Amino acid sequence: MSRNEYRMLSARFGRNDGHKLSVYESEGGYQALRQVLGGMEPAAVREEVKEAGLRGRGGAGFPTGIKWGFVPEGAETVYFFVNADESEPGTFKDRYLLDFDPHQTIEGTIISCFAVQAHTAFIYIRGEFGWLVDRVNKAVDEAYAAGYLGKNILGSGFDLEMIVHKGAGAYICGEETGLINSVEGRKGQPNIKPPFPAVAGFLGLPTIVNNVESVASVPYIITQGAKAYREFGTEKSPGTKLWSVSGPVKNPGVFEIPLGMPFREFFHDYLGGMADGEELKAVIVGGSSVPVLPADEIMSCNLDYESLSQAGTMLGSGGMIIIPQSSDMVELIQVLMHFYFDESCGQCTPCREGTGWLHRIVKKLRKGEGKTGDLEMLDYICEGMAGLTICPLADAAVMPMQSFLRKFRPEFESLIQETAPAVPSSRWPRGE
Amino acid sequence: MAKLTIDGVELEVPDGTRLFDACQEARGEALPHFCYHPDLSIAGVCRLCQVEIEGMPKLTIACNTTVRDGMVVHTRNERVTQANKQVLELHLINHPVDCPICDQAGECGLQDQYMAFGLYDTQVAVPEKVNKDKTKVIGPYVILDKERCVLCSRCVRFCNEVTKTGEMGIFNRGDRAEVDVAPGTELDNNYSLNTVDICPVGALTCRDFRFRKRVWMLKSTQSLCPGCATGCNVRIDHEGGRIYRLKPRHNSEVNGPWMCDRGRMTYKQVHNEKRVGQPLTGDPGQLDSTSWQEALDAAAVLLGQGRVGLLVTSARRSLEEMFLLQRLAQKIGGGKKVVAGRYPGDDGEGDDLLLKADHTPNARGLTMLGIDEITPAALAAAIDRAEGTILIHGGDPAASAEVAGALAGKEMIYIGTHNNATTELASLVLPGSMWAEDEGIFVNFPGRLQGFRRAVVPVDQARPDWRILSELSQRVGAEEVPGSLAAWRKNLSGEVFAGQDVDLNQLPAAGLIPGAQQDSGPQGEH
Repeated sequence: MSRNEYRMLSARFGRNDGHKLSVYESEGGYQALRQVLGGMEPAAVREEVKEAGLRGRGGAGFPTGIKWGFVPEGAETVYFFVNADESEPGTFKDRYLLDFDPHQTIEGTIISCFAVQAHTAFIYIRGEFGWLVDRVNKAVDEAYAAGYLGKNILGSGFDLEMIVHKGAGAYICGEETGLINSVEGRKGQPNIKPPFPAVAGFLGLPTIVNNVESVASVPYIITQGAKAYREFGTEKSPGTKLWSVSGPVKNPGVFEIPLGMPFREFFHDYLGGMADGEELKAVIVGGSSVPVLPADEIMSCNLDYESLSQAGTMLGSGGMIIIPQSSDMVELIQVLMHFYFDESCGQCTPCREGTGWLHRIVKKLRKGEGKTGDLEMLDYICEGMAGLTICPLADAAVMPMQSFLRKFRPEFESLIQETAPAVPSSRWPRGE
Repeated sequence: MAKLTIDGVELEVPDGTRLFDACQEARGEALPHFCYHPDLSIAGVCRLCQVEIEGMPKLTIACNTTVRDGMVVHTRNERVTQANKQVLELHLINHPVDCPICDQAGECGLQDQYMAFGLYDTQVAVPEKVNKDKTKVIGPYVILDKERCVLCSRCVRFCNEVTKTGEMGIFNRGDRAEVDVAPGTELDNNYSLNTVDICPVGALTCRDFRFRKRVWMLKSTQSLCPGCATGCNVRIDHEGGRIYRLKPRHNSEVNGPWMCDRGRMTYKQVHNEKRVGQPLTGDPGQLDSTSWQEALDAAAVLLGQGRVGLLVTSARRSLEEMFLLQRLAQKIGGGKKVVAGRYPGDDGEGDDLLLKADHTPNARGLTMLGIDEITPAALAAAIDRAEGTILIHGGDPAASAEVAGALAGKEMIYIGTHNNATTELASLVLPGSMWAEDEGIFVNFPGRLQGFRRAVVPVDQARPDWRILSELSQRVGAEEVPGSLAAWRKNLSGEVFAGQDVDLNQLPAAGLIPGAQQDSGPQGEH
C-alpha cells in the first residue's frame, strides 16, 4: 500500500489530545485568526475563500465564498450557523472534525463570522451526537477564556458570541432552513425559498449556514493562501475532501484526499480493498441520497464533483458506502426507503405521501407479495416526486430508489413471481 | 408593468403581481391549489399550482413566484398536466374517499380537481392506507377528520395570522403528519368556523351543519350578517324555506373573506319555536290569534286621529322600515318623533377583528335618519309621559324591567318577530319578519350602506315589516302610499340623500358610503 498523507483538515484525527486548545495552538492553531484580525478587511477574507474555490461540503457543493456574498450590503445583524447536523446515512466526517479537532472548526467559524460580519454564531449539533455537545462546549469555553471569543477579540474590536445548540434528532434539520426553524423553536421543517437564509433567515435576518468541513477548511486557506489551496484537487473541485467510508473494506474510516483522485487508487491504496472473502458489488459514493454505482462504473470514476456528476451520481457529503456482493440490494433499499419515509417532514405532498408509498411497496416486495407492475409503479411514483418539493428530501429518496431499480433490476424482478416465493430472511432488525 | 405570456395569451400586469394571480387572469380560472389563500401567508406545500416557466429546468409553484417581464409560462401543457395529476394522486392515496358520508362533498377541492384532471383508477388498496382519527371534536363549532386532511396548513396559518390565537398545529411528520389543536387547548376563538370555510376538503366541518343537508341542494342568497355593527357580507344557504348556514361573502371593504362564529349562528333566530306566526289580539298576556284584516283595522283605530302616544323603533330593523315609521309618525302623530330604544342584548362582546360591541346591525341607520337612540330609563320615562297608544317596532324593550314597568297598563301595539317579554304586555301583536325573510338596507358602523336580499318567505302568516307599516299608513290617511319597497327607497333616496348621488335601489356590490370616494366594484368570492 502506497499512499500520500494529506493533513489539511485531519492533522489531529485519531489522537487523544488534539481537542485541547494548548495542542491546537502549539501546532499553529489560531494563527489564521490572528492574521485576519490583525488587519484584513472582511471583503478580503471573502475574496480569499472565493478565490480558493472552496465548495460547500455539506452535500450541495455550492461555492462558500459566493454564498457569503449573498448577505445584503450593509446588513446590520447577520447570524452564522455551523451545520453539524450530520445526518446523511453513511456520513461521519463532521463528527471526526468536532471530536478530534473542535478548535479548527471554532477558528474557522470565527473567521467566517468576521468575513460576513456576524456577531452571533451557532454550532448546531445533531441530537444523537450527545457527547460531541460536551466536547465542543468545552472547546468553546476554552476559546472564550483565551480571548478568541467574546468582546473585542484579540483587541481587534470584533465581537462574537458562540452558542452550541443541540438538535432534537431529525434528518431534515440538516437542511438549512429546517435547521434555522429548529433553533427558533419551531417544527424542524424547511421553508419555502425565496427568500433564502442569506437574505432572511434566523429571526428573519440575514443568516449564513455552512457545513463543519467548509468552515474547518477556512484557516488553511487564510494561512496558506488560495493559491496553495488550489494546488490540491482539480480546477473546478479544488482542495482536499474528507471521505467517510463504511462497509466491508479492509480499512473503513475517515480519509482526507485531494479531490479528483481516481476511485481505483483510493479504493486500493487507502481502503486496502475489500475485506477477505468479500467482493465489491456497488458503491453509494456521497451519502445515502445519491444514485448507486455498480462496481465497474465506480472503478472508472474520479472522486470530484464533476466526474461523479458525469457518471450519473453526486459527490454529496462524501459518505461512501461500500456494498459487497453478499448484500441483497432490495433489502438495502428497504432500509433506505424506511429512512426517508420516517424522516420526511410531511409538509409537501409528493414527499409526504410518496416516501410512504415507496416504502410500503418495497416492504411488500421483500415480504414476497410483489406483483407484476410493482416495479413500474415504483418508477412512476418517483417521477411524481422528483423536483416537486420545497427541499430535496423527495429527490434524496428518489435517487437511490431509481438507481437501485435501474442498476440491479434482476434482484427486484426475482421477487415478483406469479406464485408467492419463500419469504426472504431479513438481516434488518428494525421492521416497521 | 410586466409583459408576460401565459399559455400563449399575452398580458400585462403590474410589477410585483403574483404569478398565481396572473395565471388566473390569463386562464379565466385559478390554477389547481389547496394551500394558497390570498389572505394568508404562502406555504407552498400542496405543490398543485406548478407551472412551467421557459428557461427554468424545474416546474415552479406559481403561488410563490413573482412575475417578471418577458416570462413565458405554460400551465396546461403535458408536463404540467402530468405533474398535477400525479400530485393529486399523491394527495389522494391516503384519503379515505368517504364522500358519501362527508359534508364537504359537492364543494370539495379534491372532488373538483379529481374531476377536472384526475380521473385515474386507484392504485392503492384500502388496507394499505394510513388510518387516523376521524371524529375529533376540537371546539364548540368545529369537528376534525384527520384522514380527510390534505395538510395544506390553511387552518394553522389562519389561527396564527388572522386570529393570532395559534390553537392549531401540524403534529408528527411524514405521512403520519396530522392537523390538531395544541394539547390542552380547543379551537374556541370567535372565528373558528372560518377554518371550516378555508379547509379545501372535509377535514374540518361545522358541527352545526354536519349531516343536515347535501350542499348541492342548497340555494344561496346574498345577504348581510345582522349580528353586529360590522355588517359582514354573507350568503344565506337555504333550501325548502329553511336556512341551513351562513357563509361569509368576500368584501374587502368590510369583512374580507371572514366572519365570526356568533354571526353565523344568527340564522337560528329565524326558524325557532318562539316566532310569532299570526296576528294576536286581546288583553295583555291573554292574546288570541286574529286575521290580518281585523288586526290592521284595530291598529288603525288605536293609532289614528291623534291617538298615538309614542313610536319606538330599534337598531335591528332596516333603514327602509325606520323611514316608513317616520313617515307614519308624520302622518298620524302630530309632530311626534320616532325614537329608538337601546335594549338589553344590543351591546355585548367585541374584539379587534370584526365583532363590534354594538350587536345591532343598523345603529348608524338611525343616525342617518335623525332618530335618537335612548336608554331603557329614558324610554321608560318617555312611555310614562306618552298619552295614547305606544307603537313598538322591533326589539324587546320589555326585557328591561324599567320599560316593562312603564308599559304595564298602557295600550301597546307591537310589530315583532318573537314571543318575548314585550308580547306579554301588548294588546295587539303584528307578526313581522326577520332580515332573512325580507330585503332591505343596513348601515354599518363606518356608515356603509349595504343591501340584503330575501332568502326565505316569512314564517306562517308573518309579513315584511315595510308592508305592515305601509298598510297602517294606508289605513290612517287618505292619500296613496307607495306600494313597493323600491318606491319607498326612491323616496328615501330623494329625502335623506338628496344631491348625494345615492340610488338605494342600485347599491354597488361592495356597498357605499354616502359622500365618500367609492373604491370597489363587485367582489369575487374566494
